[in-house]
Amino acid sequence: MPPSPCARCHDQRAVIIRPKNRQKLCRTCFLHVFETEVHETITSTSLFYPGERVAIGASGGKDSTVLAAVLKTLNERYNYGLDLCLLSIDEGIKGYRDDSLETVKRNAQQYNMPLVIVSYGDLYGWTMDQVVAQVGKKGNCTYCGVFRRQALDRGAAKLGIKHVVTGHNADDVAETVMMNLLRGDLPRLSRGTSIVTGSAASDIKRSKPLKYAYEKEIVLYAHHRQLDYFSTECIYSPEAFRGSARTLIKDLEKIRPSSILDIVKSGEDMALLVPAEVRGKGGEDEEGGGGGGGCGSQNGRTRGGEMAEMERKLKEDEAAKDREMEITSDSVPKKQQQSEQVQTPAQKKVKSQVLGTCERCGYISSQRVCKACTLLEGLNKNRPKTAIEMEVGLEDEESSSTLRRQMEKVELGGV
Amino acid sequence: MPGKELPDRCMNCHEAEPAFTLRERFVCQECYIRFLNFKPFRRMERYRLRRNMPQTGPCKLLLPLSYGVSSTVLLHMLHQQLEVLRSKKHGPAGFEILVLVVEPSTISPVPPHEEGFALAQQTFPLCSFTRLPFHSIFELDPDVHQIMSQYAGENFTDDTSLSDEERLTRFRRSISSATSKSDVDQILLNKLVVAFAKKMECRGIVWGDSDSKLAAKTLANVAKGRGSAVTWQVCDGMSPFGLEFNFPLRDVFTAEIRTYATLFPELAGIIVHDEPPSENTLTKNLSIDELMIRYVSTQGAKYPGVMLNVTRTASKLQSSGTSIGGLQCDFCGAFMTTNENITGEQGNEQLQFCYACARSQPELTC
Repeated sequence: MPPSPCARCHDQRAVIIRPKNRQKLCRTCFLHVFETEVHETITSTSLFYPGERVAIGASGGKDSTVLAAVLKTLNERYNYGLDLCLLSIDEGIKGYRDDSLETVKRNAQQYNMPLVIVSYGDLYGWTMDQVVAQVGKKGNCTYCGVFRRQALDRGAAKLGIKHVVTGHNADDVAETVMMNLLRGDLPRLSRGTSIVTGSAASDIKRSKPLKYAYEKEIVLYAHHRQLDYFSTECIYSPEAFRGSARTLIKDLEKIRPSSILDIVKSGEDMALLVPAEVRGKGGEDEEGGGGGGGCGSQNGRTRGGEMAEMERKLKEDEAAKDREMEITSDSVPKKQQQSEQVQTPAQKKVKSQVLGTCERCGYISSQRVCKACTLLEGLNKNRPKTAIEMEVGLEDEESSSTLRRQMEKVELGGV
Repeated sequence: MPGKELPDRCMNCHEAEPAFTLRERFVCQECYIRFLNFKPFRRMERYRLRRNMPQTGPCKLLLPLSYGVSSTVLLHMLHQQLEVLRSKKHGPAGFEILVLVVEPSTISPVPPHEEGFALAQQTFPLCSFTRLPFHSIFELDPDVHQIMSQYAGENFTDDTSLSDEERLTRFRRSISSATSKSDVDQILLNKLVVAFAKKMECRGIVWGDSDSKLAAKTLANVAKGRGSAVTWQVCDGMSPFGLEFNFPLRDVFTAEIRTYATLFPELAGIIVHDEPPSENTLTKNLSIDELMIRYVSTQGAKYPGVMLNVTRTASKLQSSGTSIGGLQCDFCGAFMTTNENITGEQGNEQLQFCYACARSQPELTC
């Protein structure tokens, strides 16, 4: 078979079949098309303004590395006038994060961008390895997710930056849509697909410029531009719902490559259909499982048995409902009323949710004490006495007030 | 039940011997049937009592019968409701059921099911029956010819000298991928059923989909870019066609429907069981609809509640958001959402197709 020419320039030899639409392209055209599509996403959503300072949540993985490379290229090509820097979170996972941080450090030099590293150890007094030693592998991702959200915000705040971009790609967004559908999470369904998130819970804007870019094309882009990235995934456990959704999406992609984009489209359309009173629910928990954070595809994973747990809960609810129905078989309308009543107060409570600040660390929270501090309290309770003394010192037993002090101590830069 | 002994009395009526496990409880056959019947009964209550609708005059509902186990069981259940309704002299006016069979042998290469139709008529005398071939869509909905040729694009020329049957076959053959084929077939079938319901002046349509079918349909719609259509494709309520869509079996598990069917020998002659797609079929050769049915049935074996919850979640979406502007896709009839105008912008007198329908168009191979 003769080599096919590029479908775009008709000149060079095609070396890439685009995973998105099976178009045959040469290397130059592919890189150009990929960059142009990201540019279109950015301009059509007016994502940036000239002179804006933007932090790129960098994990050293393929997504954030490609994001940094593309943004740098586009910033120069189209004169966005952006002031870009890299922001990394050190979760403290040996054999994973320490290596990937080395990559980020190299990226910072390659792209000539300043780099800031915020570590869990400095911020919370706990590295993820220590958390896992304490709570086990199950459920550790909850801690990681909650901590990361705050850490990114705090890192950005320290830099005086109001906009953090993350490397979430179309596969991640599609996965999130399916996952939220599977676990019946309407509030997140309404938020997960929007390109900008996080405005309600903090004054730092989060966005995902690679929202329409296929994971496979990101890999191709990184390969053909010979980008320096770190390709090991987080060593701790994946989560059942996301795992199930991921398998499903990989199968769908085999059947119809466009389906990843189609799911994103469906998600965007369905987001508009989520009733307003459900939408705002859980403001503080903005990105927990919804698709934010810094470690690319690994984010948002929580306990492994989540799916089985939900099944059990649903079954219990169902059983309770059925029993109720057997007894009051002639009062159907009453039963319906009841179930409505059950829902209404919950929704009202949601509406009246006010964002304040956590009384311990000062982070924006809808609760009295923010989620990170609540988790920290649990962790610190079980820490050996000596450790607590070291952490808290003389002051008080409100252990997580350490957070505030340690925040102030966090060194900026690693540069 | 491993490790557990059967109780000697039904956990519900405490009289008869338990024969089935119903949602973790041991019940007798009578209680089993009563429980399952109660689910669609509650869903049909509106029509029985005619809540928020005229108390006099006809209230016709169309039931599309595919000879599948779900639609047959639904017909059986609703027929029992009709028997009770008609037996009461001063009872509420209730509803009528019209049954439409789109002859399966005109949809896919299966042998005609003549005796099934006769048997259904015999078994359910309180319903009226109609049987139509797939290609009667051209008679019932005269616009379909034009829509079809515009939809199919340049590579397809509609030969008007051919019979309706051949024209439909050629159109369906012009669509290449398994996903697009089944997508287009569903749209055409839906069009046919809706057109017939309108012709018969029905108020609504009662679909036989069970919970797992609805869950698969929800996921498949999302995967095909039809996310906004789930509000009427799987939820009870008004459809964009001005007819009410209802899914009375939405709370009944497919396994329960199958068991129910075995308890009534008269149904055996009507039901044609679906051939599940072969285990050997490569994933990439399945249609998205088939993949989702497979996914829901494998996952549903472990987590039936989670799958049921998918449909419940979809039901919580509000349909009102879509009807703003009221622009409808000329092919599937769904309301267009604000951020789409995929094919309409090139030509002026061109028909408008929604994002998802454009995906299934013949010239697109992916």
